[in-house]
Amino acid sequence: MKALEVKNLKKTYTDAKDASRSVHALKGVSFDINEGEIFGLLGPNGAGKTTLISTITTLEKPTSGELNVFGLDVVHNARAIKQNVGVVHQEVINTGYFDVTEILEFQSGYYGILNNGDRIQFLLDRLALKPHAHKKVKQLSGGMKRRLMIAKALVHSPKLLLLDEPTAGVDVELRESLWKFVAELQKAGMSILLTTHYLEEAENLCNRIAIINKGEVNYCGSPKEVIAKYSTKKIHIKMTNGDVKEILTSAAESLNIVLVQHKISIADVADIQMTEGKLEEAFTKVVNQ
Amino acid sequence: MEKTINNWIPFLTLIRREIKRFMKVMIQTVVSPIVSSSLYLLIFGVSLGSQVNLPNGLPYITFLIPGLMIMGLINNSFQNSSSSIVTSKFSGDLEDIRVAPISNHQIIWAMGIGGIIRGSVVAFITGAVGMIFHYFMVGELLPIKHPLLFVMFTILCGLIFSFCGIFIAFIAKTFDQLSAFSTFILIPLTYLGGVFMTIQGLHPFWQKVCHLNPVFYLINGYRYSMVGVSDVDLMTTVVVCLLATGVTYLMAIYSLLKGSFARW
Repeated sequence: MKALEVKNLKKTYTDAKDASRSVHALKGVSFDINEGEIFGLLGPNGAGKTTLISTITTLEKPTSGELNVFGLDVVHNARAIKQNVGVVHQEVINTGYFDVTEILEFQSGYYGILNNGDRIQFLLDRLALKPHAHKKVKQLSGGMKRRLMIAKALVHSPKLLLLDEPTAGVDVELRESLWKFVAELQKAGMSILLTTHYLEEAENLCNRIAIINKGEVNYCGSPKEVIAKYSTKKIHIKMTNGDVKEILTSAAESLNIVLVQHKISIADVADIQMTEGKLEEAFTKVVNQ
Repeated sequence: MEKTINNWIPFLTLIRREIKRFMKVMIQTVVSPIVSSSLYLLIFGVSLGSQVNLPNGLPYITFLIPGLMIMGLINNSFQNSSSSIVTSKFSGDLEDIRVAPISNHQIIWAMGIGGIIRGSVVAFITGAVGMIFHYFMVGELLPIKHPLLFVMFTILCGLIFSFCGIFIAFIAKTFDQLSAFSTFILIPLTYLGGVFMTIQGLHPFWQKVCHLNPVFYLINGYRYSMVGVSDVDLMTTVVVCLLATGVTYLMAIYSLLKGSFARW
């Protein structure tokens, strides 16, 4: 069973007074996420990523199309789906009245869980929030607030975790520890949809990615495939006679073919260095195509 | 994928959160309204009240105490739900409730119960302070003549104004819209509904106008349950209050369906 199936999903924010000002945030988006997969949703600002996440969490209703979570339609089975989905929103919350532990206890209760102390303690520990367990949100740093949001999304042990730019504005050390934690969650069987602007991290972490722009999916597949298809590989060849040749070629192209195309005999080659293409380059090409 | 949950737990959690929230800011939510009610008792009940002769023959302070109690109930049940939602809109955690498996009906009833509890705490403490004034002025404590009616009007009034608070807070797009409702609708309806006066002394035209105000029936029903006097008959009062509860509940449901959980 797929963790998430999105079929021809459309979302339009209608302007009742002036139809020409209506915004088509999603224009027929389709992709799916396998169980236990980390799936990256990449796209520039305003591409429709947050709208898609809001639609999965039922904050927004789709205008048309299908959206299934573990085989259940999001429109007709909202409560069952909510029970199995955890979400970390892009914007940091600032709850004023309660401390970290109280927030996590309430969050557990919202999902029908009483006496969730062990899980809360595990998350506080794992996300380095234990020393701050009795602090109010306003007393936490930006990074701590992010970690609290992740803990909130995980108190009910969801099967599908939605991470909407969870590392925006977070320092390098915390980012690395968060990604390590995300990888652990995947190992434990959780399916994860993440949006991020850190493409290198998406490349390392995600099994598959979709590149979305202006409400449409321009590419869906593994990071390696998109790099091979859309990025450039740099080949630095040092010849036995001392000459140096630099060749730019498609990342998918094999070295043999490149040498043949450039009429270079392997016997004349002293050294070869290759710089692989980057997801960033492929992303830019896909978005601008 | 089916995880079965006990539907009462999210509901009871939300009620617990609502109560804990206003208890955290006790000075603002409970003590402050009691101070203002005590001042009303002192100025109107003790000082000016001794010069007021009511058509129904009651001492003015006996008449005033139920009025001040229900005013506390109205204001605080309204403010509990509306401020809970609005502060959550400011902080951004209102979306937590939307993405959790809690139904709209559970949200509304939980906030309604939270409003009844805060409103009742303020009303009862106002009543207790009023009893002290009453004892010194009249020589006896103020008994509650119809306890069951008193409980019923307390619950209905708390629900009606909690539901109103939910409605306004969800459809309001700015803080100004919320305070405009309080200033231009809630306070005039409460003050003109008979908190401080009986309509018997008014011109017949204004008496008819007062009958268009639903808060007038609530205040009179509440006062009747405590001291046994009312400007309107009991059955009409009960019907209007039940209707108002139904209408405000529908308004609250509408606001949850159409209003925004998004951050301000």
